[in-house]
Amino acid sequence: MIIMIKNHLKIAWRSLKANRLLSLINIFGLSIGLTIAIVLFLFITYERSYDKMYASAESIYRVLVNTDESYDNQVLTTAPAALSPALKSDVPDIEYAARMLKHGFGETAFIKVDEDNFLEKELYWCDPELFEIFDIQFVKGNPADAIRRPNTVVLSESTAEKYFGAADPMGKTITVDNDQQLEVTGIYEDFPANSTMHCNAIASFSSTFAAKNPSWGNSSFETYIKLKENVSQETTEIQLQSVLDKNVDAEGQWFTFSLQPLKKIHLYSADFVNSYSSRIGDIEEIKNLSFLALLILLIACVNYMNLMTAKSEKRSKDVGINKTLGASSKNLTFRFYAETGLITFISLAIGIVLSMVAIPFFNKVTGQNLNSSLLFSAELLIPLAVFWIFTTLVAGSYPAFYLSRFSPKAALASSLKTGGKVINIRKGLVVLQFAASVILIVAVVVIYQQLQFIQNQKLGYDPENTVAISTMGISGNEKKDALVQELKSLVNVSEVAMAQGFPGISVSGRMVFKNENDEGGMQIRTNRADAEVLDLLQLNLLAGKTLPKVKQEGDTLVNVVLNKKAIDYLGYSPEEAIGKKALIGGFGNNAYIAGVVDDFNFESLHRPIGGYAFHNAKTESKSFALVRFNNASLPDMMQRLETVFTNVVPDSAFEYVFLDKNLEQLYAQERKTALIGVIFCGLAILVACLGLFGLAAFTAERRKKEIGVRKVLGATVLGITQMLSKDFVKLVLLALVIAFPIAFWLMNDWLQDFAYRIEIGWEVFILAGIAALAIALLTVSFQAVKAALANPVKSLRTE
Amino acid sequence: MLLQLNNIFKWVQQGGQRVFLLKDINLEVEEGEFISVMGPSGSGKSTLLNVIGMLDTFDEGEYNFLDEPVHQLKEKHRSNLYKQYIGFVFQAYHLIDELTVYENLEMPLLYKKISGSERKAMVADMLDRFNIVGKKDLFPTQLSGGQQQLVGVARALITKPKLILADEPTGNLNSKQGEDIMELFKQLNDEGVTIIQVTHSEKNAEYGKRIINLLDGRMV
Repeated sequence: MIIMIKNHLKIAWRSLKANRLLSLINIFGLSIGLTIAIVLFLFITYERSYDKMYASAESIYRVLVNTDESYDNQVLTTAPAALSPALKSDVPDIEYAARMLKHGFGETAFIKVDEDNFLEKELYWCDPELFEIFDIQFVKGNPADAIRRPNTVVLSESTAEKYFGAADPMGKTITVDNDQQLEVTGIYEDFPANSTMHCNAIASFSSTFAAKNPSWGNSSFETYIKLKENVSQETTEIQLQSVLDKNVDAEGQWFTFSLQPLKKIHLYSADFVNSYSSRIGDIEEIKNLSFLALLILLIACVNYMNLMTAKSEKRSKDVGINKTLGASSKNLTFRFYAETGLITFISLAIGIVLSMVAIPFFNKVTGQNLNSSLLFSAELLIPLAVFWIFTTLVAGSYPAFYLSRFSPKAALASSLKTGGKVINIRKGLVVLQFAASVILIVAVVVIYQQLQFIQNQKLGYDPENTVAISTMGISGNEKKDALVQELKSLVNVSEVAMAQGFPGISVSGRMVFKNENDEGGMQIRTNRADAEVLDLLQLNLLAGKTLPKVKQEGDTLVNVVLNKKAIDYLGYSPEEAIGKKALIGGFGNNAYIAGVVDDFNFESLHRPIGGYAFHNAKTESKSFALVRFNNASLPDMMQRLETVFTNVVPDSAFEYVFLDKNLEQLYAQERKTALIGVIFCGLAILVACLGLFGLAAFTAERRKKEIGVRKVLGATVLGITQMLSKDFVKLVLLALVIAFPIAFWLMNDWLQDFAYRIEIGWEVFILAGIAALAIALLTVSFQAVKAALANPVKSLRTE
Repeated sequence: MLLQLNNIFKWVQQGGQRVFLLKDINLEVEEGEFISVMGPSGSGKSTLLNVIGMLDTFDEGEYNFLDEPVHQLKEKHRSNLYKQYIGFVFQAYHLIDELTVYENLEMPLLYKKISGSERKAMVADMLDRFNIVGKKDLFPTQLSGGQQQLVGVARALITKPKLILADEPTGNLNSKQGEDIMELFKQLNDEGVTIIQVTHSEKNAEYGKRIINLLDGRMV
């Protein structure tokens, strides 16, 4: 047996060396397929490892809030603050429950330590039970009571080092937003990179306003629970409903509760709203990538089959000889598998090396942080062996079973007649490969066009040359006013306005009603802003005027500027609307319409434009100073803005974002999809071309004699090249016919996600068709010309 | 008696008609015979050789090989039979290009699962006997046609078959090389090996003790 394998491998190795070009193409194609498979496997393994490190991971759940139609049936990851205390008293099956509040409902915190300012995006206010649920390791302090008292905070090791350097932070004080002073009572080990939850600082929940007046109306708190042993998720969900029924009457129930197991949080939260963590994966993305990876690996395997059987004349002779020498079909099946095994082994080795190159690139494209040292970990041995065996079995199956079945007589006959059925299978495989490539080409073109379309879409406002400076760290209106005055006086600054938010980030959500009897109402986004905001954003004022510049102290009257969509709902024309009362929830029935602006895209273009209002109620704080500047040198401009900022507000850090840059962020996912699409598309086409190359080589060999006869009879090189290429053009055309409807359907489906989208035009298909044909012709004509140029004497002499 | 063919017919269907490749062949071969099969192209010489070698089937008649009824045997039995008793020599030599002379000779022994030391001895013996020890590490493409056919014959003999079937063994060789191979066959036959060869050459046919002439699938 061993000697047999040795012998098989010897033959395989020598024929590998003898057919260098063929072997290189084979190994190259398989290496690409395996590289993608390896990188994807590492990625999936890593994604699935999330949150497994917590000791009680199996019994930890997050409470989800499923809203009704009035909130578009969105699923929130955040629950009301009143829930957790109610659960503790009413549901004995729950061992622990803990609330978390991301600072300022998701805003950056300004931290002051002695004289140093820091920006902190990961500050959370939590119940002390959090440390009972998650076994977070403390380096200093006691997890049981570290944040039980109000105004206490525990820091991660790296954060503590950032704030305090080498000094011992225990007992020291940090100041949040120049307002709240917190005493450091503990240090914990940094959260692992594959923990969905990642807090840099955890402060006591008892310090927050929500702890004093926990309400059922404001659903903004991620709530984690740990169930007792042998308690099921389903029974607990029923108990959650009864807690809700007990505390909220049927009228006020605009949501229901459900539970999400901790181990599903990372991969199954992509569609949920309000997630605190930025470490959210997407199971759909994983599925799509796996599908594409498998597709390319299969295309590579198909190539291998094509190329291995391309030399079937020689192969069948080999089979015939071996059979007369006493080999059984089993012997030969085994031999072809041994040969395939050798080639896939070499490809796998190359694949591992290529993976090391591909991983940093993959990290860059997808924003992951995979480590290539994982490639050499012991756990990867078994998966790699599985890849090896899988590829060998799939790629080797066709040569092994098809070739080993040759009867010795047929194999040794002077002229080989290969069955038409077999050729058809091979052609079918090439058609499928090309159809897959064409679908990818169409997809990439459509995605590119849509992204261009979005970029050139008229937004209804001008996001360029506008920067939003965070003023959350500034306490007191005098300082804010002073800052605005200073900013306005700068050269090249054309407008400054304070506002709660700006287009591209979320602002408050309210409901607007036509009259007192209006049951439904319409959702409207509201943004507290200065009068200058309309000029600053360069909005088109349709009627009336902007918000009043000054508002008297104690004036409870609210002025609003609505967009066209909102007054359409109310049933007014822009002119009629001016001075009318606007029934907007939370404005105390005292809001009047001052002006109407044309619609503008205040969200991503995934969603159609809804109602929007600028107002001057004191319900929200103005967190940003928006600054529009003329074409000035950008670094210089920012330098001057920072100087002004630090002069006026020395005790806060300078944080800013450009409106247009922020807007690009909204389409980051699409950009990523497009980039991955281009990469996979390129690889798929490359590998498919290798397959076509193989088939062309096979055909040229099979028709060698025919070509020789034709040349002797006077055919030209051009004529023969055309004759050989024609068949492949037919195959590619067939692939196009199959691919176009599928591509159209897939991309139309993808476009449905955008409220503003392109129509898929016929020119996309023309482009994809020409590209596929050109690539195919280039590949094939290489073989065709070679065959046509061959000396006919040589090909005819063999008879 | 080594083998016996009784009323063997073989045909193919072409346009609803039977075209006979072999027609009523009756042949008895004793051990130690040297038979030459002659006839024009398409007369069925190679088909007959393939039938005898059990590489091809027939449609009618009986074939007994060493008292085994070949026509009743299953495929597997048949191939075991020819593996054990028959060696093949081809016009185009059909050596395995990727293997050296030594390895080519060793190949049939591997399929017969013969132990390593025994294999070594048998191959060495064969190399010695055919005077090709010096060429044992060369690949077939590095040999002349005559040398290749020498290796082909050596390979056919290495399993000590009772019967050698040779399909135009000298067809690709020049006259001197062809003569050498024929002399070799004669010598083997003298040592007791039964040989059936197909040939076009009157001169080579003369080496045989008996000549069979075929015409349109029929013995004449």
